[in-house]
Amino acid sequence: MEVGWMSVLGELESLVGWERGRVSPGIYFDEEVYRREQARVFAGGWVPVGHADMVRNPGDYVANYMGEVPVIVVRGRDGQVRVLVNKCRHRGNQVCLFDRGNVPGFTCSYHGWAYGTDGALVSVPGEAEFYHGALEKERWGLQEARVVDYCGLLFATLEEAAPAFEDWLGEDVRWWLRYFVLAEPVGGLEALPGWHRYESPANWKLIAENFIGDNYHFAHTHTSWLRVRHALRDQGIITPMTTAPHSALHDGGKYSVTAGYRSGAPLGLGAMITHNDALLERDVEDAQAFGKEAVEWVRHRTDRMSKALADYEPRPAYFGHGALFPNLGLMGYVSPMTGKHFMLFHPRGPRAHEIWQWTMVEREAPDSVKEIAVQRVYQGQHMAGVIAPDDVENFERIVEASHSPATWRYPMNYDIHLGHDQDQLPHLPGNISAEPSEINQREFYRFWLELMTPDDAKPGGQA
Amino acid sequence: MLTSEDRHEIEQLLYREAHLLDERRFREWLDLLTEDIEYLMPLTEHVQGKVAPAGHPIIKDDKNTLRARIAKDETGWSHVETPVSMTCHLISNILVVDDDDDGDGEASVKSAFMVRQARKLRDEAWWVGRRHDRLRRVDGQWLIARRSIHIDATVLPRGVSIFF
Repeated sequence: MEVGWMSVLGELESLVGWERGRVSPGIYFDEEVYRREQARVFAGGWVPVGHADMVRNPGDYVANYMGEVPVIVVRGRDGQVRVLVNKCRHRGNQVCLFDRGNVPGFTCSYHGWAYGTDGALVSVPGEAEFYHGALEKERWGLQEARVVDYCGLLFATLEEAAPAFEDWLGEDVRWWLRYFVLAEPVGGLEALPGWHRYESPANWKLIAENFIGDNYHFAHTHTSWLRVRHALRDQGIITPMTTAPHSALHDGGKYSVTAGYRSGAPLGLGAMITHNDALLERDVEDAQAFGKEAVEWVRHRTDRMSKALADYEPRPAYFGHGALFPNLGLMGYVSPMTGKHFMLFHPRGPRAHEIWQWTMVEREAPDSVKEIAVQRVYQGQHMAGVIAPDDVENFERIVEASHSPATWRYPMNYDIHLGHDQDQLPHLPGNISAEPSEINQREFYRFWLELMTPDDAKPGGQA
Repeated sequence: MLTSEDRHEIEQLLYREAHLLDERRFREWLDLLTEDIEYLMPLTEHVQGKVAPAGHPIIKDDKNTLRARIAKDETGWSHVETPVSMTCHLISNILVVDDDDDGDGEASVKSAFMVRQARKLRDEAWWVGRRHDRLRRVDGQWLIARRSIHIDATVLPRGVSIFF
């Protein structure tokens, strides 16, 4: 079989051997695959578009993308959150040019068609004279995606025939999001304003699979930071990042979480740590530097979480990293004294992506905790932090090594814990297995293949 | 009042700093910063109407954080600086604002920069913007006490592993 001189799209089933831990690099760099992904994955399914906190007030909006489709996430004057395609229905010009704002509506710069915050076409220059009063404005509103607000996280789909949201994100995935990632039992997470964005080489799947399951890379890719952080602290160099707890320092059990295992869109979490008293003491010690209020809050939120998840002992405490299919990356940072990063991996052609990142903190944390939590986030897995730039470098090298289809014929290896990824904590939803692992990368490609497999009835079937 | 000699020294300081960074003499660069340096890069975004400010900047480092970044690269294990980046800091449009009327030995300086970062065979990034510095005279020498870096990009061209 001559991979690389054939249609990658026509051979997806054999090129994506998720069950046997083999994936061909062709799926990252092939143009046809990329085009079908835009239709099947980014337009055909439910994709994360932001957080309700980004649009708290009527008229608030943030710009975003669903794949390569520019959208406006906006809270209408009627209080309802909508996702509108940022494209005038007259000649296709963008109607919103800003990253975020608060406006009465959106007016196209080309001919002046004006839309309300609900997407409805409200005025057209020359409506009476040029259109003879016959323009049916109600038919020419901005294209609208369906939106679901799940515990503050906003999801949207452009496909009328998309599965129901509850079928796309199964019960296990929703459980882990609500009770754990989004920390609802302790008051939930608060999104801070502002997109932190950077360009990065490599296909979007390479970073998505890194976040969903690759804790294996941490020790080697980030070895420079791991090597210096202790030495710096010993030298009295106390910074948010040199004092931030890290999962590598944790002696207890660590697991890979696969929610949506073998079914639907997967949520993978790496370095999930179960709660124990030593962990609480670690966090209390960390909080002491920030005052009594910080210490009390750490004890209180831990207590509340333990009560809320009393039926799930040992309960999950923290996670290191994760991702929700297709393109929502998560950094949990294994501590309540560190914030969380949510990031969208937006495809920009087969060989590039953009990362749109926002920061989350526990809503009910005292200001002293929020401050240190936020600093640890942007000094860590962030475009100007001590962690993420080393990942970007790896992706750049992968691209440099992959231009020729001649390099695509050898499959890549996803063998870690293959056949040894049994559920170790059956009292928790999903499959909780050994760590570090590649189970979540295999699950990512399982669902990706399901969406991409030729079926002319699906959107993008002819792509 | 700043003397013309002060102005000359300040200008020379910024040029010397650019050479130190391009020659990767980062420990000597640290010596040009006061112990209480604030090294900031705010988030550049296009906002419309009345909205809350960005929740946090891109960079807000103190001297220890800068030391930590340099120590990380000195391990030789920072992939993002292996092989090391080639940079050329072009510093221009230096404007020394004479606000030392109170004789506190401080001055504000604006400058523009264009930094080309080249990596490996053909990977590169252009970083362009302006800096607003607060300089302080310490033991007869001008040092940088605060730097605010304003990048002309709402989407950064790559992860930041260099200094501005």
